Amino acid sequence: MKLGKIVKSNSHIDYICQIYNPTDVPEPPTNENYAFGTFVAMPLNNNRRLVGVIYDTVLFNPEFGRMGPRLSPESDLAIFSPDYLSEKAVLTGVLTIGMIETDGQVFQGVPRLAATTNAEVETIGLNEIRGFHQGNPSVNLAYAPLLLSHPSPLAAHLLQKIVKNLAENIFPEHNKVLSVLLNDLVWKSQVMPLGGVR
Amino acid sequence: MTVEVAPIGWTKGPGENPQDFLFISPDTQRVLKIGEFVSFKTIVGSEGREILSRIIDRQPLRQFPDSFSSNPEVAPGQIAHLIGYGEGDHEIFQLTASVIGYFDEQIKAFVNPRIAPREGSSIYFVSDLILAKRLNKKGKGEKGSAHIGSLLSRDIDQVPSVLDVAAIASTHMAIIASTGAGKSYLAGVLIEELMSPYNRAAVLIVDPHGEYDTLAEMANIDHFQADRYRPDVKIFRPGDVKVKVGALETSDLYYLLPNLSDRMVYLLGKAYREVRKEAKEQKGEPDRWTRAELEAKLIQLGEGEEDEEGNTKSDFASTAQALTWRLESVLKNSILFDDQEHLKLIELCKPGQCSVLQLNEVDEREQQVMVATLLRRLLKARTETQKNKVEKGNDLYLPYPVFVLIEEAHRFAPASADIVTTGILKTILAEGRKFGVGVGLISQRPGKLDGDVLSQCNTQFIMRIVNPADQARVAESVETVGRDLIRELPALTKGQVIIAGEAVNTPMLARVRSRYTPHGGITKDAPEEWIGYFDEIEEDKRERDAALPVMPVRKKGEFFK
Repeated sequence: MKLGKIVKSNSHIDYICQIYNPTDVPEPPTNENYAFGTFVAMPLNNNRRLVGVIYDTVLFNPEFGRMGPRLSPESDLAIFSPDYLSEKAVLTGVLTIGMIETDGQVFQGVPRLAATTNAEVETIGLNEIRGFHQGNPSVNLAYAPLLLSHPSPLAAHLLQKIVKNLAENIFPEHNKVLSVLLNDLVWKSQVMPLGGVR
Repeated sequence: MTVEVAPIGWTKGPGENPQDFLFISPDTQRVLKIGEFVSFKTIVGSEGREILSRIIDRQPLRQFPDSFSSNPEVAPGQIAHLIGYGEGDHEIFQLTASVIGYFDEQIKAFVNPRIAPREGSSIYFVSDLILAKRLNKKGKGEKGSAHIGSLLSRDIDQVPSVLDVAAIASTHMAIIASTGAGKSYLAGVLIEELMSPYNRAAVLIVDPHGEYDTLAEMANIDHFQADRYRPDVKIFRPGDVKVKVGALETSDLYYLLPNLSDRMVYLLGKAYREVRKEAKEQKGEPDRWTRAELEAKLIQLGEGEEDEEGNTKSDFASTAQALTWRLESVLKNSILFDDQEHLKLIELCKPGQCSVLQLNEVDEREQQVMVATLLRRLLKARTETQKNKVEKGNDLYLPYPVFVLIEEAHRFAPASADIVTTGILKTILAEGRKFGVGVGLISQRPGKLDGDVLSQCNTQFIMRIVNPADQARVAESVETVGRDLIRELPALTKGQVIIAGEAVNTPMLARVRSRYTPHGGITKDAPEEWIGYFDEIEEDKRERDAALPVMPVRKKGEFFK
């Protein structure tokens, strides 16, 4: 499903995607579709695709901070100020965690190519997620240190969410290995902040 | 010195001590063990030299987080692989090496260049062949060599540990180890080497436990035989060896007769001096007095001299009685002391002969007096023979060096007290070198062994020692063994030994070779013997032994038949 388009980037791997609203597409995505930790893809030229993960959601509302009342009632806005309605937006942060080459080869880590402005962001299916993470002999999570190095306070929770998702839904056969990593992440993000020792 | 071409690491910088340096290596072949030898190249003066060094510490630099090991069923490497670390062996090591030096062919010793290697210098693994040449003073099977085993850090028998027997026999040695570490076994190996055709030594073993009689097998083993040579092992059991009473000194007598009062010491000393004086006047030699003569002298002194009226007056009568009683109980009933018989040194010590003095049934004090007497006589014999004061046929004529191996040495030179043997042992350790009397001490309690005595043994064989007091004694008394090797002591296993001192070029960790002769000092297998008690044959035998004799059945009227 198409979620939105890239409107800005903070770095080579950190992008802002504006989620489609009803004026953009007939069936805009719901918040279920762009949930925290959702894997997404952004097309590049030559059938290459950047793979990313949604790490943050920000609501953009120009009305916030306006102290006075509007002259037009809410129901008339669509007629008198249609631009005003489209100014409200949902922005999601996307961290690129790898790339799928033209020939289908998967690379995890900092991709060498960047996305372009207005590049479409779409969700990817379970099979594609599985393919992206398939390692030999188990799972490949080579982007984990990259995620953890991101300055967002949500980074650790993001990785925790991803690992849990992979262990429960995508690679249940590698649950044991993933659980060791998950356990460590949970300890560091949940217990250590409250005084748990190393 | 030539070494293998491929380097195994790079130097990082100086270590904690001036002679130490650090180097980094992945050690993929896992050869850089503690105690292993490596080398680096440097310029000393104007010459290029290979500097030999010994690894003393090894620390891994990369370790997985502890949490990676939280599930015993999942290897930490799997987690590392999961997060993208799949680059094979992740380990790299920081190794600390201690510089030994380059081998100077002229002085036949290592010379420390006193300069650390440059940062980024290549480190090489030293080949077996070069190592064997550099560590040992002698080649295997060479005249005056003793092949004890092989270097522990290399494969078995790849780098032989060969000692210089001349150094052992002149500057003494000590074998120190806890019980069960294999010290008697090592001593057996050493004796085998001393008795080999390439040494043919004159060896005397003081064996308080009777463990060395298996050495007699040497005579039947080809390895020990050469044209016109076959080692002779003589076992002297308790009773075979006699100490002539006349050879005893006052200190020996005081030691044999414990708890003497001041009066007794005075009277015994006086009687001893007079009896020796009379022996010299009447028999030509002061040593030719007998126990009976000493007792008679004591009685005489105890009675005192007659005055003009023919009366005797002395306060020593009871003292003399007590002394004679004690002398009788100790000397008369002893299997060791005899008025006339005296084992001749020439019978005890001759090249190609290993004499084992078994003292397992002899009282400890008597053992000590006997060893003191023997060592005194040996040193005197060697001194006088060397100074041409005695001639062939004389009791003290001993024209070749002797090596004396003393088991349970802490009995003969204890740390806590000066006993009869301490003095003569110290004299031999200090002066024996000049006269060809070498001593080997074996002890399981270096903490109980006199520190001076231990430090005079210039070749040391140190096996597993766990007791901290014993380790401390070794550390303080044995200067040639570095702290790095002392740290290894508790970790050594049976048959592994640190060899240091005069007989080798540099201290080394070795494994003792197998013996040709069977080992005598085997620990008793108590459960085996207990189970054997219920053996059918054993049980029958016991029943037979315990059975009462059966009276013959007599018929009526047969009583007086």
